[in-house]
Amino acid sequence: MKLLVVEDDETTGSYIARGLREEGQTVDLVTSGRDALIQATSSSYDVLVVDRMVPEIDGMTLVKTLRGAGNQTPVLFLTALGQVEDRIDGLNAGGDDYLVKPFAFGELSARIAALARRPVALERETSLTAGDMRMDLISRKVTRAGQDIDLLPREFALLEHLLRRKGRVQTRTMLLEAVWDISFDPMTNVVETHISRLRAKVDKPFETELIVTVRGAGYRIEE
Amino acid sequence: MSGRVSRLARSMPFRLALGLVALFSVVSLLSLAASYFVTQRSFDQTMRADLRQDMAGFRAAPSAGALATLVEAEARETDPERLVLSYIAPNRRHFGNAVIGRDEDGYHIVSASGGNPKIKGRYLALTASLFGGQLTIARSRDEIDALGDVFTNILVLSLIPTILIALSGGLYLARRSARHVGQIGRTLDELTGGNLGARVGSTQGWSPDIVDIGQKLDEMARAQEASVTAMRQVSSDIAHDLKTPIQRVSVYLDEMSRKDLPQPEANELLGKAKAELGGIASVFRGLLQISQIETGSPRSRFSDVDLGALVQTFCEIYEPAVGEASQSLTCTVDGPEPAVVRGDRDLLGQVLANLIENALRHAGPGARIEISAGYVDGRPSLSVSDTGPGIPAAERDLVLRRLYRLDRSRTTPGNGLGLSLVASVIALHDAELALLGNDPGLRVEITFALPGRGDAVPPEQTPQGPGGA
Repeated sequence: MKLLVVEDDETTGSYIARGLREEGQTVDLVTSGRDALIQATSSSYDVLVVDRMVPEIDGMTLVKTLRGAGNQTPVLFLTALGQVEDRIDGLNAGGDDYLVKPFAFGELSARIAALARRPVALERETSLTAGDMRMDLISRKVTRAGQDIDLLPREFALLEHLLRRKGRVQTRTMLLEAVWDISFDPMTNVVETHISRLRAKVDKPFETELIVTVRGAGYRIEE
Repeated sequence: MSGRVSRLARSMPFRLALGLVALFSVVSLLSLAASYFVTQRSFDQTMRADLRQDMAGFRAAPSAGALATLVEAEARETDPERLVLSYIAPNRRHFGNAVIGRDEDGYHIVSASGGNPKIKGRYLALTASLFGGQLTIARSRDEIDALGDVFTNILVLSLIPTILIALSGGLYLARRSARHVGQIGRTLDELTGGNLGARVGSTQGWSPDIVDIGQKLDEMARAQEASVTAMRQVSSDIAHDLKTPIQRVSVYLDEMSRKDLPQPEANELLGKAKAELGGIASVFRGLLQISQIETGSPRSRFSDVDLGALVQTFCEIYEPAVGEASQSLTCTVDGPEPAVVRGDRDLLGQVLANLIENALRHAGPGARIEISAGYVDGRPSLSVSDTGPGIPAAERDLVLRRLYRLDRSRTTPGNGLGLSLVASVIALHDAELALLGNDPGLRVEITFALPGRGDAVPPEQTPQGPGGA
């Protein structure tokens, strides 16, 4: 993937760029809104990572300008501002996702991956598979190595969400938003407890772990 | 001194007094003038009528001789200064108390009794030819002329004291109100200068409008002082709360800079430092979120939120975590219809999350946590209760304060902002937050305003619970 990072704080900027390059992405780093506008219009990117407060042209204006010019590249906003108001403002300006500083790198990386518009397993699929596990979306049954696995409806939804995004990290907040449709900031390990219950049913009785914990980020189902 | 006088002269009560005096003077002058003219005219008419009547009396005489005798008799008893009687008989002989002569200067009246030969003053005269002679009766106009003096006296005696009294009253009021306005001004100066304890104070004996301004000013000053005090408290709390984790981070970094540190230990220190920084960041995020909520702007995005559905969602989210903490979770949704309120679903969800997490952290193993949505007195409500140690009644208000933590909670995780955030979200929704005793434990009850009712219910923050822990 080719990414443009717009961040005026040198430490944060180079930290993000280095981390993303280590993941194998191509990263261009600029430190002003003006440079970002030139880069984004002269070259094609998969995702733009834009800090809200950068010099010359601020992040919101930058994204509005790009959207006005017909540029539909997905945008992830970074901000030191609070989340209640600015999140909505940022999304209204044409941003696709929003991350409040300070953030864990894993969260950033997972959200960039989610934005990259790589196809999610389509709605019309009738079954999803991973390794020796198979999820039948019509009969709503899950089997692994030929054994039936009994799941509660939310456990099924959680597993389905991960299976449709096989190989991609889903963070705790992403899972809360996707499975329970609520955005809040849990101080405890609520998501972990759901994952561990799910694991107890789909992973524990078997030899290999399908649900993998990605340290500092979230969870992923191995391809 | 002259500055003070001119300031007083410019003050509103004095100007009002001056205006009233001017108005009163003009009205008095006009009415006095009108009554003067009316009175004068009626005097004049009376005099003319009297003259005609006198004349008619003399006409009744049967002959010139009789008339002469009558005139003489009357004249003897009449002062020519008041009434002049003069009859020139056909034989040119003069009878009466005065003679009316004429020269180049006009008419003159000369008294017939000598002494005072020439009489001054104005007269109204009536002349008639009777029995070949000429009878002239003239009445002095002195009375009418004196009327002008009477009215002038009335004017001087009534108007001038009134003007003086009104002006001194105005001056007194102006000085008094200048004192009161001055006190308000000094209070404002002090407040501007940073003395937030400055108050207008006692307004006894002041005029009600200035009392009103004084009291409003004091109210404003009190509110400002309270919010500044709260702000100072929060800033010093933040400073105090962050000193410890920052100190720890500095210690961890210091230890890590030791050269001979084995890698696993370095990693452990690194993890600890990261955790402390995460805590610091969460305090700031929480404070920022609370202050954003307090601006009230999230209200513009309010939509209908089904409290029952919200409770079910959070029950589901927290059920495994509660099980892991060896606690139990019960959720009830009751009421004849779903309890729906206007609100921000995410923020109300955060409220439930904070309350449930508080119970998870503080209620201890074996505790029962109950979440419910329903109605209290017909108003939609949410409640979270636990069977833990609860919060002492005396501290229930304090825990809503930012960064406040009970002594026994100092060692458990959490940033001391959970309940403050709950309080600010509840205030945003114009709902009431009550921390009650659960006998044992804590029961947090949130009651919303009736749907469709715009007016806010005053938040009640010192509820009385039955017992309490």
